[in-house]
Amino acid sequence: MIFTLASRNLFHDRVRLIATVVGIVFSIVLVTVQIGVFLSFERMITTIIDHAQADFWIVPTETKSFEGSALVSARERFQALSVSGVTEVVPVVAGYASWHKPNGGAATPVLLVGAPPTSAALRPWNVVQGTPDDLSLPDAVAIDRSYFEQLGIAQIGGTAEINNQRARVAAVTKGIRSFTTMPDVFTSLERARGYLGVSASKASYFIVRVSPNADAASVRNALVASVSDAEVLTTEEFRHRSRAFWLFDTGAGAALLGSAILGIIVGTIIVAQTLYSSTKDHLKEFATLRAIGSSCRYILMVILVQALLSAVVGFTIAASIGLALVVATSDAALPIVMTPVLTLGLFGLTLLMCTIAAISAIRVVTRIDPAVVFAQ
Amino acid sequence: MTKIMIEASHIVKVLGEGAGRVDALKGINLSLGGGELTLLMGPSGSGKTTLLSVLGCMMSPSSGNVRICGRSTTGLGPEALAGLRRKHVGFVFQSYHLFPTLTAVENVRLALDVCGDRSSQARVKADVALATVGLSHKANAFPRELSGGEQQRVAVARAIVGSPSVVLADEPTAALDSENGHAVMTVLAEIAKDPARALFIVTHDPRIIPFADRILRIEDGRIVSDQQRSEHAGAVHTLKYAS
Repeated sequence: MIFTLASRNLFHDRVRLIATVVGIVFSIVLVTVQIGVFLSFERMITTIIDHAQADFWIVPTETKSFEGSALVSARERFQALSVSGVTEVVPVVAGYASWHKPNGGAATPVLLVGAPPTSAALRPWNVVQGTPDDLSLPDAVAIDRSYFEQLGIAQIGGTAEINNQRARVAAVTKGIRSFTTMPDVFTSLERARGYLGVSASKASYFIVRVSPNADAASVRNALVASVSDAEVLTTEEFRHRSRAFWLFDTGAGAALLGSAILGIIVGTIIVAQTLYSSTKDHLKEFATLRAIGSSCRYILMVILVQALLSAVVGFTIAASIGLALVVATSDAALPIVMTPVLTLGLFGLTLLMCTIAAISAIRVVTRIDPAVVFAQ
Repeated sequence: MTKIMIEASHIVKVLGEGAGRVDALKGINLSLGGGELTLLMGPSGSGKTTLLSVLGCMMSPSSGNVRICGRSTTGLGPEALAGLRRKHVGFVFQSYHLFPTLTAVENVRLALDVCGDRSSQARVKADVALATVGLSHKANAFPRELSGGEQQRVAVARAIVGSPSVVLADEPTAALDSENGHAVMTVLAEIAKDPARALFIVTHDPRIIPFADRILRIEDGRIVSDQQRSEHAGAVHTLKYAS
């Protein structure tokens, strides 16, 4: 009967139900978008690190993210290569450059990433036109299809200038989006050196690959001991460092999380307000329940079930909207990401939010004097 | 010899304080026996509802003692008093206080549900209680689909479904016309014949006097008369319900 009473109370007053559900939906959609964007942002920040075939990274000291502009000396590469178990040390050059569209107009800043096309350590992925090997060709670069318009490219084979040097689109990728407004442009190591003016004795990073039979911890210790003017990071450490910098040092992640928390607070207040007024309207019935001997716990359960039912209805709608947003933004610059864990977490959050919202209503009910039923 | 269901000794109830202080009950002594329909009559403000609240364990007396089925209510907290109400007391209210979103049978079952009876027998018990008040055919009707008299009979079914030792009714006919009032009182009088149950009705309505086994009159917080059926029977003929 608790469920029956709670559900009938809830669905009987449609206007209030709509207000409650709108509050929950507003809140959860807002949280979904904010956290979805946060996750998307988090993934995009490390997308190049994630797609590199690296066991370790040798990075300039105090590097904060992949986009850092410091360089390491080639000497570190040779020192790393001397470590037992290391099979390959691949130089990577990364840096910002100016992309000049073929038909003129303002230059577009891009993040240029150069690695040897012959190595599998770091190559463009999701290549839909051309091949990664095509980056061996003169002036060859790979860009994402979604940046064609921004970069003034109509199709594969299109040409432009990077830092006043010729570039030709030899490969096209799909879905490699930058979390900034600057597109990622892949090229060979040599072309990247040329575009960015990095000498052959320098590199932005060295990707270290070790033998499958080697003990990773020992190799790392040996690398740390042999590399003097750089840091040795695991892929996970580099990922974590990049995320920490972009999400928290810049304040971008905090802003997203702040909006999500605001959404939760606003949603909780709306649900609390509607539950409170619903309970006030049903006070006579709760007093009757108390008069006929129901325990406080019984009444609390009615209110709680009412709140949780609101949560389920609200979440179902919010999740559907969230899913639609995920589909709608899948090709956007910053797509909303929704994972099973996030969905479950949001459901738990909705239940928690509605339970907290029920507290004000519960406080009203626990103060009911059952004798009021005689006065009505 | 009838079994005593409720016994109230030296009940004093003070409401408010300071300038607003009211001595609502001033030393009430009262016993209600099983199989007895007792009316409590008196002018407004005489303490009827306060006495009903005290006897129904909704309010603790300022002093004195109430025993329900031998169990003293002195010193019991709100939850324990609710427990006593669940176990021993059924209520019928002037305004019925049915749950508008529940059907008649669900309203009756609710009384069992709060007592923790969620067995399959609960539905059967609710059906039996509705049959007792002559409303089997309205089991699935919502309160808004019932007349005032029918709603009050559902409330009576709700009050008796848990087989309480005491049924307390607050002006059960006040909101009803003569015909419905008579129907409700007929049901209540029938229920009152059960020797295991005492029925106590607070009323202003003189038309229900013929149904009473005993009439108490209260004035200014004191019981001023206590008449058994034989003593008031002479007066009842002139106060019958209009047919």
